[in-house]
Amino acid sequence: MASFEHANWLLTLIFLGMSGTIVASILLAQRGRGMFIRRIPGLSAIEEAVGRATEMGRPMYFSPGLGSIDITTLQALSILTHVVRLAATQATRVIVGTADSTLLPVAEESVREAYTSVGRQEMYRPEDVRFVSGDQFAYALGSVGIMSREKAASNFYFGQFFAEALILTENGRALGALQVAGTPDPTQIPFFIATCDYVVIGDEYYAASAYLTREPTLTGSLVGQDIVKAALAALMVLGIAGATLWAGHAPHFLAKFMALLGAH
Amino acid sequence: MPGPLLAAALFAPAANRSDLLLRLFASVVLSAVLLMLAHKFLRRRGRRVLIVAVTFLGGLLFTLEYFWPTHLVKGRQVNFLTDWIEPATIALSIIGAFTVGLGVHSLTQVHGRLLLRRRPGWHNSLAFFISMVAMFVLVLWDFSAKAKPSAAGVLPFHNAVYEILFNGIYQPLIAATFSLLAFYIASAAYRAFRIRSAEAALMMAAAFIVMLAQVPLGAWLTHGIPQAGPLGYLGFFRLERLGDWIMKSWNSPAQRGITFGVAVGALAMSLRIWLSLERGTFFSQQPEASVEGNSAGSATES
Repeated sequence: MASFEHANWLLTLIFLGMSGTIVASILLAQRGRGMFIRRIPGLSAIEEAVGRATEMGRPMYFSPGLGSIDITTLQALSILTHVVRLAATQATRVIVGTADSTLLPVAEESVREAYTSVGRQEMYRPEDVRFVSGDQFAYALGSVGIMSREKAASNFYFGQFFAEALILTENGRALGALQVAGTPDPTQIPFFIATCDYVVIGDEYYAASAYLTREPTLTGSLVGQDIVKAALAALMVLGIAGATLWAGHAPHFLAKFMALLGAH
Repeated sequence: MPGPLLAAALFAPAANRSDLLLRLFASVVLSAVLLMLAHKFLRRRGRRVLIVAVTFLGGLLFTLEYFWPTHLVKGRQVNFLTDWIEPATIALSIIGAFTVGLGVHSLTQVHGRLLLRRRPGWHNSLAFFISMVAMFVLVLWDFSAKAKPSAAGVLPFHNAVYEILFNGIYQPLIAATFSLLAFYIASAAYRAFRIRSAEAALMMAAAFIVMLAQVPLGAWLTHGIPQAGPLGYLGFFRLERLGDWIMKSWNSPAQRGITFGVAVGALAMSLRIWLSLERGTFFSQQPEASVEGNSAGSATES
């Protein structure tokens, strides 16, 4: 059997602190505490993209990327649910192309539930949620084929993307579609910025479901995330200050404290 | 300890071929019976409880195993849950493998409809069916009767056809698609570098320096700037050093900042799913019915 990595006490403490903060923030939001979310243009553009497709009377294409069922793709499905709800209220079709067969039933269920939640279950067409291909470039070309044949007015790319991102977005642009993209992967963000109309970058990607639904649980989670990020930034500043002041020779009390935590 | 003993009893390799077949048969029958029972007796609420329970227990297993204190056994750090990780991972892979059939079903449904109704582009669907069936048969044939080339280097018919289809057609097509990226990168870069604002001008300047720093021409252009002596401090303005400074002091911190934010976002999302706090997104309807009131352009946004 393979050997697995394990956490030390310092990591456990940091994890518990971060998780506790996020869960506490969620609980506070669920009890009705008001929380503020700044405007994120990339997410506001989703409504514009759906409206454009409705005006043109053409469908939209949604790509959840190459990922399987992981956190990034589940977030993409959460955004897909919102896009489908919005499209259903305006009687506009959304075509979803998956690259992972494991994802297919989950995407089908998400889309069906989204139609049902706005009372438009008759709009759900099983062939609109498709498995395109498990191969990276075959998926890209298959998706471009769907965009081209169906004359998609708006394209959404949310999830994990690699080298195929540019093939998708450049062709989508050539077909004249309004494109909204989002990925947490820093290596693909520049390609999306260069080729899409609106891009959701970095942690904005995980803020999407809270921003779009304004559900207290999600809003609380988002505020919790920001508190954790602020704490991490403070830790970094302290670390920089410590490293600068002591230049690798930490005072005895600090070294002892770190040893107690199990830090190496 | 009961944990490792139970794990050893459940996950020990099969003793022989008949033992393996018996276990396979028992697993399939047991799984089918459990699925049938769940489908027959579990209502919507019951299914939700089952999903929530399985999600929580799965998350708990991996989380506890990672954070629980360990001890050294035969040169590796283990705790009472370590022996359960690999079987759980294999079980996930098996469940994933079952869904390949769903993928084939989806493709067959979409292309079958196009073909039967003779919709525009039906010949593409026909090509899809011929390719899928041909590759399926040939891969199985090639796998089950793999033969070495003869002394003259000639492969048996089925191995040769497989080689032509996979290595002679499929792989070059994929390589050709990949090579298209070079042109797409050029056209995307042209648009990205058009100077339309102060930020775009700054990005253009930075990109120009970094690109020049990567090629010998860049180093040659500024090789006259001294790196030592009384004016040695001017060496910073040599293009290769300037490019390196932009990448290390500006690009890397920005990328790490994004990565930190993404990691915390992923942690929050994981917690919401693990503890089933994200009600409505995956397992049942959203509590609020209206979309318009909650949309991105709503009044609560500022």
